[in-house]
Amino acid sequence: MGKQKFAVTVDDLTVAYNYKPVLWDIDLAIPEGVLMAIVGPNGAGKSTLIKAILGIIDPIAGSVSIYGKPYKKQRKLVGYVPQKGSVDWDFPTTALDVVMMGTYGSLGWIKRPGKKEKKTALESLEKVGMLSFKDRQISQLSGGQQQRVFLARALAQDADIYFMDEPFQGVDATTEIAIINILKELRKKGKTVVVVHHDLQTVPEYFDWVTFLNVKKIATGPVKEIFNDDNLTKTYGINYKVSVQK
Amino acid sequence: MTSAQLEIQLIASLVAIACAIPGTFLVLRKMALISDAISHSILPGLVIGFFITHDLGSPLLIIMAALSGVITVVLVEFIQKTKLVKEDTAIGLVFPAMFSIGVILISKNANDIHLDTDVVLLGELAFAPFDRLLIDGMDFGPKSLWTIGVILLITLSLLFAFFKELKISTFDAGLATALGFSPVVLHYGLMSVASVTTVGAFDAVGAILVVALMIAPAATAYLLTDNLKKMLLLSVFFGVFSAISGYWLAHWLDASISGSMTTVLGMVFLLVYLFAPKRGLFSVLYRNKQQQVEVSLLTFLLHLNNHTEKSERHINHLNEHINWQKVRSKSVVDLALRNNMITIDKNIISLTEKGKSFTDKAIDYIITNDDSKIESIKEDFFLFRG
Repeated sequence: MGKQKFAVTVDDLTVAYNYKPVLWDIDLAIPEGVLMAIVGPNGAGKSTLIKAILGIIDPIAGSVSIYGKPYKKQRKLVGYVPQKGSVDWDFPTTALDVVMMGTYGSLGWIKRPGKKEKKTALESLEKVGMLSFKDRQISQLSGGQQQRVFLARALAQDADIYFMDEPFQGVDATTEIAIINILKELRKKGKTVVVVHHDLQTVPEYFDWVTFLNVKKIATGPVKEIFNDDNLTKTYGINYKVSVQK
Repeated sequence: MTSAQLEIQLIASLVAIACAIPGTFLVLRKMALISDAISHSILPGLVIGFFITHDLGSPLLIIMAALSGVITVVLVEFIQKTKLVKEDTAIGLVFPAMFSIGVILISKNANDIHLDTDVVLLGELAFAPFDRLLIDGMDFGPKSLWTIGVILLITLSLLFAFFKELKISTFDAGLATALGFSPVVLHYGLMSVASVTTVGAFDAVGAILVVALMIAPAATAYLLTDNLKKMLLLSVFFGVFSAISGYWLAHWLDASISGSMTTVLGMVFLLVYLFAPKRGLFSVLYRNKQQQVEVSLLTFLLHLNNHTEKSERHINHLNEHINWQKVRSKSVVDLALRNNMITIDKNIISLTEKGKSFTDKAIDYIITNDDSKIESIKEDFFLFRG
């Protein structure tokens, strides 16, 4: 392998809620073009890590760079899928309108979305197989459909790096396969995708890169090399055995 | 209609519009109570502004009052952040403190101020036409019309400019931050608009009722639409409707205008709350009832599908077996008959072809954990709903 280009670099990142650190001194370099899972127990700081990278939470120490520059200068390169539970799905709006929000970043302040943005949003809905639901009020969608709308919104951001906070949470098997196919598609196009993931069984099948996190970074690297019982035990604290299938 | 009457209705309508706009976002942000806090805590700002200028119509009063509204929000959030008290407790602590400072300031200086607590609490729209804007002896109409007109104009231009930003930061503050639309800036922007609007509306309707004008129209609109723009338009409509019909109600009853306006607001909300087509109380109850009968129907059909032996399908046996009361069994059997899903021959019930294929499809969905899809096949099979 030649000299690797890093899409995201995190240096000495420490995040605290009310002076209680939830992430200690994280160093992390995510190579360009990987499909990476962040795994760790509840309360390990997985979502917090993503939020700190995206500037949603201010760290008390450390820095983040996206292709060598601070996040604030690189917003347009980054797409984000928050946890489904983080928004109010009774909000009076439609699936299409939510997906349009993905285009707001490139519009900037005041400018309104027009035909071009609508076209992008419709194409994104089509990619996730939700075009026929475009005018549906978002509370009328099933959990899996809501997650697809969120994914479509990130696609509408047309980013180079995607951060997704538990995109498989509460979705049925069909949707899970549909989502992972889209993620693999993104990787094929050279995009970098970082996913907070819960289901350890599917890590080897879905991802090629993995980061073990539990307040501190335990390990990061190719799934083939580091996804083993040793790291799992270090991360989850108990004697962990996972049958790693090919 | 006299010109004074027209002016009062015009002022009331503009106040209603100016309140409905920030009110819609407050309702969606689940911050209805903060409008109550703001409306009370602008009082010290008003009074201090008055001490400085000795003019109730001075723009400085509005600025001072809006400032104390924003200070209230900051204080509430500061107390909340310490996590030592709960969110609503923080609101309940801050605004009475601010309000009482205002009340003390008024009562200490009662002689040289013609603000009195009754007017502060309830407002008096009827006097608005008497306080006129005179420039070089020319009459430009009531001062409050100008005040609220300017405030409304500012609110509307901010709404048009920042509609998309307000929408995204209300719906998904996380994404808004990530995209660079600072929710903090938008939050305080909205709070400032709410404060300024409250000051403008204060004169007309007083501290207590301005809350109703902000919250009730938005809460009513929320029950009727799935679209933010329509929700804003409906809020404005309900606000103006209540303002004008409230005025005439007051005229007819010879009672307080602001009180009548709020009464109308309450009545309109009650009507919509009860009768809204999708989210109204009656339609929700009706739907629950329908669901209940239809689930019973499905249970009944599944039972028939599971048993070929006649003894299990005898009409009396079903009564006992499924353990339903007579009335319920009868309504379920009737529903099945009306939808051509069963036939009854000598008290033995059999599934028809249609009943069979509906039940089979439903079982498929139940097995694959797709219960929610049963709802959509009902459309194809049911002639009559439960």
